[in-house]
Amino acid sequence: MTQSVLAPPAIAAATPRVGSPARVSVRRNDDVTRLLPRPLLVVIIVVLLAVVLIPVLYIFFASVNSDTGVASGQFFPTEFHLDNYLLIWNTVDLGTGLVNSVIVCGAVAVVCAFVAVGSAYVLVRFVFRGRATYLRALLGLQSIPGTLMLLPVFVLFASVGTALGVPIIGTRGALFVTYLTFALPFSTWVMVTYLRGLPRELEEAARIDGASSWRILTRIVVPLSWPGIVVSAIFAFLLGWNDVLFASVLTNSDTRTAAVALQVFGATQEGGAIPLYGQMMAASLVCALPVVVLYLVFQRYLVGGLTAGGVK
Amino acid sequence: MSLQSAKRRRTLSTRNRPLWMLGPGLVLMALVIIIPLGLALYMSLLDLDQYTLRSWLQAPFIGLQNYVEAVTASPLLRSIWISVSYAVVVSLVTLPVGVAAALATQNRFKGRALVRSVFLIPYILPAFVVGTVWRTMMQQGGVIDSALGSAGVHTGLWLNGPQSYWTLIIVQAWSSWPFFYLLVLAGLQSVDSEVHEAAALDGAGWWIKLRYVIFPYLRGPIALALIISLLHNINSFTLPFVMFGVPAPQDVQVLSVLTYVTSFQSFRFGLSAAMAVASLIIVAIPLFVYLRAVRLDTGEEGKRA
Repeated sequence: MTQSVLAPPAIAAATPRVGSPARVSVRRNDDVTRLLPRPLLVVIIVVLLAVVLIPVLYIFFASVNSDTGVASGQFFPTEFHLDNYLLIWNTVDLGTGLVNSVIVCGAVAVVCAFVAVGSAYVLVRFVFRGRATYLRALLGLQSIPGTLMLLPVFVLFASVGTALGVPIIGTRGALFVTYLTFALPFSTWVMVTYLRGLPRELEEAARIDGASSWRILTRIVVPLSWPGIVVSAIFAFLLGWNDVLFASVLTNSDTRTAAVALQVFGATQEGGAIPLYGQMMAASLVCALPVVVLYLVFQRYLVGGLTAGGVK
Repeated sequence: MSLQSAKRRRTLSTRNRPLWMLGPGLVLMALVIIIPLGLALYMSLLDLDQYTLRSWLQAPFIGLQNYVEAVTASPLLRSIWISVSYAVVVSLVTLPVGVAAALATQNRFKGRALVRSVFLIPYILPAFVVGTVWRTMMQQGGVIDSALGSAGVHTGLWLNGPQSYWTLIIVQAWSSWPFFYLLVLAGLQSVDSEVHEAAALDGAGWWIKLRYVIFPYLRGPIALALIISLLHNINSFTLPFVMFGVPAPQDVQVLSVLTYVTSFQSFRFGLSAAMAVASLIIVAIPLFVYLRAVRLDTGEEGKRA
């Protein structure tokens, strides 16, 4: 379900690494390892910074500008007011959306990380028939088009709901189960690559002392793998946070996530008078903020998670 | 290799395997992925619309008629072409940008950590935010038009008509180039400093060094990044959906949006399922290459080596 995973199926995770050997080798002798002549290097960096930052700054500028100012193509706001940040809670119904997103995605993150640890532990430390298939499936399942799954998941939930006499479509539970499942392959893979890097001596010692697998998992493996657990939890969280496809069909106006609230708000502004651009940008900023903060706080681990697997 | 695999074999326990720990994940994936996959295949053979959906098990079985209709009487082939060409173009456009960014930030300089963080912003912003923001910027008379206009360039509509295809490519390229940047950056770390020193001793110029010394190291990571990027872009739904809405202008009606619209706007569920199956077939080709390229068990050792 790559289209809503923020990360394409990057294949591995932050591997537990003591110290950082790469950094040491880069440090010495800058001139020798330099790859580009200085002027070219400066040009590339300046151009890319501009390309990235201009739209990002625009989000903020437009959010404090007047709607007519945005509509007439101003970059720098001619007025400055923060009203939009107050208004969005009523017009976009952003509060409900954010609460729903936090509840669903938070639950998905926690449950997913722990289910993933258990699976990954078995996959890394034990041999069993179908192990390679399982690992390959973890990678393959991430690329299944979400649009392929949407209709059958919808029909399945609707049918089960009718059979049981309880509504499933439109509940947070439906969204939770869906996100949890689609987050699992990547989170499990993240944990698999993480656990591979853990020394197994402690576990072996514990096993000799007669500890059960469950005890080893909860007392040794989990405490040692917090960085990996955090990474897989964050990726699971973001999968839900960024999804529009499933949420647009599986929720109603009460259980709508922030992503759908913003999308619906944007769509209803088309046509008619001047759209409420300022509020749209303010809401965009608010929806993006948790993601950006998560990244900045956990950047070191997450970047490892995004890249490590790409290097064969 | 032989030593390591022998060691692995010996230490990997075959007794007391807590296979039940795979249970929760397996059950979930079976219920929400595998069963619906089978369901999708089955529904693509049914005449399923809003009237028959409620009791879909009794819907008329019409064999391959949905597929025939999808190919002959729907925009499917056009959408496939849009999706695939868009995925290829975006990947090819973002590749050099990512490589250049990685080369430029490989060495230390003041503020490099900040630059690296900033470079990641487009990639980490949710697609629905990126879509909303760029739609606002690219509307008629919006900030892009007025900036280009003051430079004397006058363009047509960005969000409608044939140009919308390029709009989608521009925006997707903006938000996805850091992926190549990340993977190439990681690839550069595998270049030993001895290699740099040897090149410097030989007095190689920067381009010669890049071309003949550095790029060979990057071939693997770039190939892998290309495949992942293709998979990602072929499946992309949120950005086109949010930027152009539904029904989408026909020039940006990518396969995922067409499938969505056929289901949830036209209520031709059977036809839509057939289209979705077609998208699976298209993804299967790069996916196959990808799964062959990834070494499942030795990934860790291969990386360290």
